[in-house]
Amino acid sequence: MKKMPEKGMLCCITPEKGDPVAYAEKALAGGADMIQLRRKNASGRDLCEWSVRLQEICQRHGALFIVNDRLDIALASDADGVHLGQEDVPAAAARTLLGNDKILGVSTSSAEEAAQAVKDGADYIGFGHIYPTSSKFKSREPAGTALLRTVAGVTALPVVAIGGITEENIAEVTAAGAYGAAVISAVSGAADPASAVRRLRQKIRAALP
Amino acid sequence: MAAEEEILPRLYMVSDSRRLPGGAPSLPLLVRRVVSRLRVVFQLREKHLPALALYQLALDLRGEIGPDTSSLLSINERTDIALLCGADGVHFPEASCPLKRAMAPARDLMCGKSSHSLQSALEAASEGVDYLFFGPVFETPSKKPFGPPKGLKELGTLCRRVSVPVYAIGGMNPERTRRCLDEGAHGIAAISAFCSMSGLEETLDAFETVLAQ
Repeated sequence: MKKMPEKGMLCCITPEKGDPVAYAEKALAGGADMIQLRRKNASGRDLCEWSVRLQEICQRHGALFIVNDRLDIALASDADGVHLGQEDVPAAAARTLLGNDKILGVSTSSAEEAAQAVKDGADYIGFGHIYPTSSKFKSREPAGTALLRTVAGVTALPVVAIGGITEENIAEVTAAGAYGAAVISAVSGAADPASAVRRLRQKIRAALP
Repeated sequence: MAAEEEILPRLYMVSDSRRLPGGAPSLPLLVRRVVSRLRVVFQLREKHLPALALYQLALDLRGEIGPDTSSLLSINERTDIALLCGADGVHFPEASCPLKRAMAPARDLMCGKSSHSLQSALEAASEGVDYLFFGPVFETPSKKPFGPPKGLKELGTLCRRVSVPVYAIGGMNPERTRRCLDEGAHGIAAISAFCSMSGLEETLDAFETVLAQ
C-alpha cells in the first residue's frame, strides 16, 4: 500500500514546456514530496519515457510520482499513482484497474465533487483553484480559502490545495486546513526552483496547526 | 498478446466523429449499421474528446459490437479505456509507449500499431503486434501529417517482410483496395470512406465485394 506523504506535503506539477525530468530533479533537490507529470499534448511515447524516468528519480528521493489524466501511462510506467480530473475516466473505474496499492487523486472544485471522490475510492482530493491562476484556463471563479476550510473540515481524506498558490499565500492555505499544496508556476517560474521548493515547504510546515 | 485463432476481418474502420453529420452521438448508430452488414474491426479514435466522453462512448460501442456479432472493437492508445469497456483490442499510434510496457496491463487484448515508414513497421512487427497499419498508401486529407504517400511498392515490400497481417490505409476506395490486396495486404483501413451515413451500405458492399474475392 502506497502511503501519502506526511501532512505539509508539496506536490510539484511539471510545466507545459521544457524537460520535465530536469525540472523534477530540481524540485526533488529542494525536497518536493510528490511530482506530477502533466503534459496535455505530448505523445504516448514521450509521456511513457518521461514517466519511467520520473518514477525512478522520485523513488531515489523518497518522493511519490503521479501521472496526470493518463491512467494508461500510469499503468504502463508503473507510476505510484494517477491524478484524475472531472472529465477523465471515472475515479471508481480507475480504481478497479489501479488496485489498492496505487495512489488515486481526484481534482475537485466543490464540496459535492469532493464527497463523490471519497465515495469513488480516492486517496486524496485535489481542491481548487484557490486563487486566480494563469496555469490553466478557468471558467469558474476561484474557490477561495473559506470554501477550502469547509471542504477540508468535512472530507475524511487529505485535501491538497491547488491554484495560484505562492510563497506569499501558502501559509493561509495551510491554516485553512489543507493537507498540502500543489504548485506549478511558483516553482517553474522561480529563478532557482530548488530554493523555491525549500521555502514553500518551510512555510507550509511553519503554518501547520 | 492475443493469439488470433480466427482470421482478422479484412475491413478495418477508424472513427472520426467530427466528420459525421451528427457528431459523436451518431457513432453507435453508424456502428450498428456496419456490424449488422459485415464483419469489421472498429477502432474508436477520437483524440479531441476528453477521456470521460471517450469512456462513455466506448461502453456504448461495446453494446453495439456485442458477442452476437463477429466484429471486433478496438480503442486507440488508451489501454485503460479498452480494459474498462471490455474492448477486444488496442491500437497504438507510431509515437506510442513501447508496446511491452503499454500492453503489460492488457496482455490478453489484440494489439495493433500504425506505421508510416518501412523501418517503423518492421520495428513494430518485432515488438509483437497482432497486425500493422501501413500508410498513407494513397493521397488522403486525413493522413497529410504523415508525409507523402508511401505507394503500393513499399506496401508490397513490407508485406513480404513481415508475417503479421498488414492493413493498407490512406485514400482507400474499392478499386485501390484490389491493388493493395495484390501487394499482399491482409485488408484495408479507412476513416473517410465511412463518414457518410447516406450510401453507407452501398459503400460497405462495394468494399466487401473486392475483399471477398
